[in-house]
Amino acid sequence: MFTRGTLIYIGQRLVLITLAVLGVSSLVFVGVHRLPGDALFSEHLHGTQYELTLHHYGLDRPLWQQYVTFLWNMLHGDLGESLVNRGVPITPIVAREMSVSAEVGMVALIVTVGLGMSFGVIAALRQNTWIDYVLSTTSVIGYSMPNFVIATFLILVFGVWLENVTQGNFFYQIGWPGRYGSIGAIWLPAFALGFPSASIVARMTRASMLEILQQDFIRTARAKGLPTATITIRHALRNALIPVVTVLGPLAMAIITGGVVVENIFGIPGLGKEFATSILNRDYNVVIGVFTGYAALVGLTNLGVDLLYVVIDPRIRY
Amino acid sequence: MAPTSFRILKTLAVGAASGLVLAACGGGNQSSSLASDQTLNFPILSDFGTLDPAVSDSETDQEIQQNMFDGLVKFDENLNIVSDLATAVPQPSADGLTYVFHLRQDVTFSNGDKLTSKDVLYSWNRAAAYQGSYATNLSAIVGYERVSGNKASGAALEALLEKNDPSVTMTGLTAPDPYTVQVSLSAPAGWFLTAISLAGATGEIVDVNAVKQDPDNWWTKPATAIGTGPFKMVDYTPKQVVDFAAVDNWWGSPRPTLKKVHVDISVNNASTAIAKYEQGGYDIYGYGGYSNLPVADILRIKGTSNESGQLVLHPKVRTTWVTFNVHSDNSRVAKGPFTMDQGQSAHDLRLAFALAVDKKKLVDTVCQGIVCVQATGGLISPTLQGYAGDNTDPLAKFDPAKAKQLLQSADPTGSKTKGLQYAYDPENALNKASAEFLQSQWQDNLGVHVDLLPVSHSQFIKARLSGHYVISRDGWQADYNHPQDWYDNLWGKIVGCPDSGCSSGYDSPEYDQLLAKADSEPLDQAKSDYAKLAQMLIDNVLYIPLYYSVGGFLIKPYVKGAGTNSFFDHYWNEIQILSH
Repeated sequence: MFTRGTLIYIGQRLVLITLAVLGVSSLVFVGVHRLPGDALFSEHLHGTQYELTLHHYGLDRPLWQQYVTFLWNMLHGDLGESLVNRGVPITPIVAREMSVSAEVGMVALIVTVGLGMSFGVIAALRQNTWIDYVLSTTSVIGYSMPNFVIATFLILVFGVWLENVTQGNFFYQIGWPGRYGSIGAIWLPAFALGFPSASIVARMTRASMLEILQQDFIRTARAKGLPTATITIRHALRNALIPVVTVLGPLAMAIITGGVVVENIFGIPGLGKEFATSILNRDYNVVIGVFTGYAALVGLTNLGVDLLYVVIDPRIRY
Repeated sequence: MAPTSFRILKTLAVGAASGLVLAACGGGNQSSSLASDQTLNFPILSDFGTLDPAVSDSETDQEIQQNMFDGLVKFDENLNIVSDLATAVPQPSADGLTYVFHLRQDVTFSNGDKLTSKDVLYSWNRAAAYQGSYATNLSAIVGYERVSGNKASGAALEALLEKNDPSVTMTGLTAPDPYTVQVSLSAPAGWFLTAISLAGATGEIVDVNAVKQDPDNWWTKPATAIGTGPFKMVDYTPKQVVDFAAVDNWWGSPRPTLKKVHVDISVNNASTAIAKYEQGGYDIYGYGGYSNLPVADILRIKGTSNESGQLVLHPKVRTTWVTFNVHSDNSRVAKGPFTMDQGQSAHDLRLAFALAVDKKKLVDTVCQGIVCVQATGGLISPTLQGYAGDNTDPLAKFDPAKAKQLLQSADPTGSKTKGLQYAYDPENALNKASAEFLQSQWQDNLGVHVDLLPVSHSQFIKARLSGHYVISRDGWQADYNHPQDWYDNLWGKIVGCPDSGCSSGYDSPEYDQLLAKADSEPLDQAKSDYAKLAQMLIDNVLYIPLYYSVGGFLIKPYVKGAGTNSFFDHYWNEIQILSH
């Protein structure tokens, strides 16, 4: 499946992703240092004491010198120390939080693809029946609602109401046990994050399937006496997926950025919880680390989506 | 008669005490036997800045550290100064210049190292050399000035400290024997003992053997985060979780019943954390400096039958007011109509703006009468030394007719008050609501339109203290129970006024002289001088008093001993988990 050309393509993309990540972090470095205010100044720490603290962190040096140091450290995989949580190295924090966000995002993507495609295929196969109407209406509701509304509603249902109704079954406990959470902790936020995108995938899959099912090669397959399941999955769905995969890239971005809000609502210790607070606190190195993490996540996800084309359509070669 | 702020606070305190008693007694349904699992769970919404007492800054840092470290003296739950590592609270010498501390001889750090007077000298010299936020708590000691100029940190500072380099050694700090510390002050300082009683700050003692293993990050690792307190760190994943365990055979009393304290740092949203508390995920909410519960959540919880008894509201030592910029020069760029060089008309304008605000209504509207009470007794909060007493502050009055009259005489054409902006930091919902309320009051009662200028907190504080705002939100949370904490840190030359570190820009020779006198006196003598300083602020109409804060806590009925006073959370070694 992955030819030599594909591997070279992957290598090129990884180089480009690295450059993009460096570019993003450099831009953020300049941008965040231009913001007024900083992490160290406080009602207790000003005047000489403040200047000494700036000196301690090297923040009294010219910006270009700080940038050179930052770039050198960055190339060695070191994002520096937090200014708010004094002395705490950021690289392991960002790596850990990125892995949590990636985990939630990945499960959300599975929800998006799995639920969206299932809804789309069933709706297409049962066109203009009550099943089609129910699934299409659900899809419209799904992409009309922001993920934070869905998240809050789900917590209300599964985290509050169901406790007494089901004697604890399906009850959702807010929080994140351990480093990688648990199935019990991840399904609800993943659903909240993935459902709006799943609704879009469902609409596209339905439309695409309806078009493919009218094609001559499908009629031929039926005439040959192939089973309906084979026709649907091997011939129709595979062709119908090409336009769906095309939108998967932007949808994956929506899932990653949507995680900022959803992670906060569900108390998930991912990159999302750092996003706003690090900017507000002017915790320079954390801001740069978070944006660097997101840039890497977006780049790698896009690469993954692009490679899906090769899997789905053998005619595509890189 | 309208209830006074102190009365309201007293009612709240009684309510809080009742709540704590109920919590302790389990509301009638709770067993008094201890649970087999003595683990306390609570969240903090943001990781602590540091657990190094030399450089700690935030309330969270201090609330955690007070269970890991000790000082020579400390505050008890009623804010009295009591001995901690010292055998007794020392009295100053007749000239007020010398304190002699005798150390307990049975104290060990959690790694087994014995505490001696050398540890005290090391910790205080190190703290003075680091020049952290609370370094000035040691500023009365002879030699502090020279040490405060130190620029070395980390391993370089450790090397200097190890060889007792004069640049990092306060000459007023000596150890005549392993269990005696003599402190010589450069001038009498009535506030000195109070300042070093502050938990989680520069007065706390660290272990040189632990610090020198990793001078920059020793406090982040369980192996080196060593103190003399009843709890020690056993696990720390930054921004996710920190676990503490009780120190076996701890030297102090009461010995901890809790075996473990689990602090969750993974949730950074108050409402999410409260929802988790309600699900049973936490035993307490509000500990660690997060007692500013959202008003909406308080109202909702008050309305429930099963949880309202778990809500504890307690006055906190935080006051919020509006500050005027009264000094403008090249470095303080906010000119405005309120500066003192404009004489009586500026004074009258400030007074007009103060009298035009219905503060009682503000408290009812903004705080729903729950999370704050009207500030009627000056800027120093009730329950603190220096509180002036209920209804003593004339600036707290609401007199729209007089306000309008003053405005008309001081600014008949409206040109001076045109284009005014009120700056505030909107991260705290109360600040935003207060700003909108003030805007409507000035519009309705003075006919003056004031634009609102929301500025992010980190930018706002720096700009305000540099004199960038004509009129802005201001406030102070007391560090320790002494008026010096307020008058030294907010006005006058000592804090840097008029040019830096000063919200109002107010300074005068009279203020500086009287402050120096008051600071040098024992508290009983100094109170009248501090009262005169308060009167100077009132006479000059430097502020508009708004409210005193009230903290909110949620405590499960089975958590015995948990609670708060107006400053800090009850120590963890006083808490027990009952069977439930």
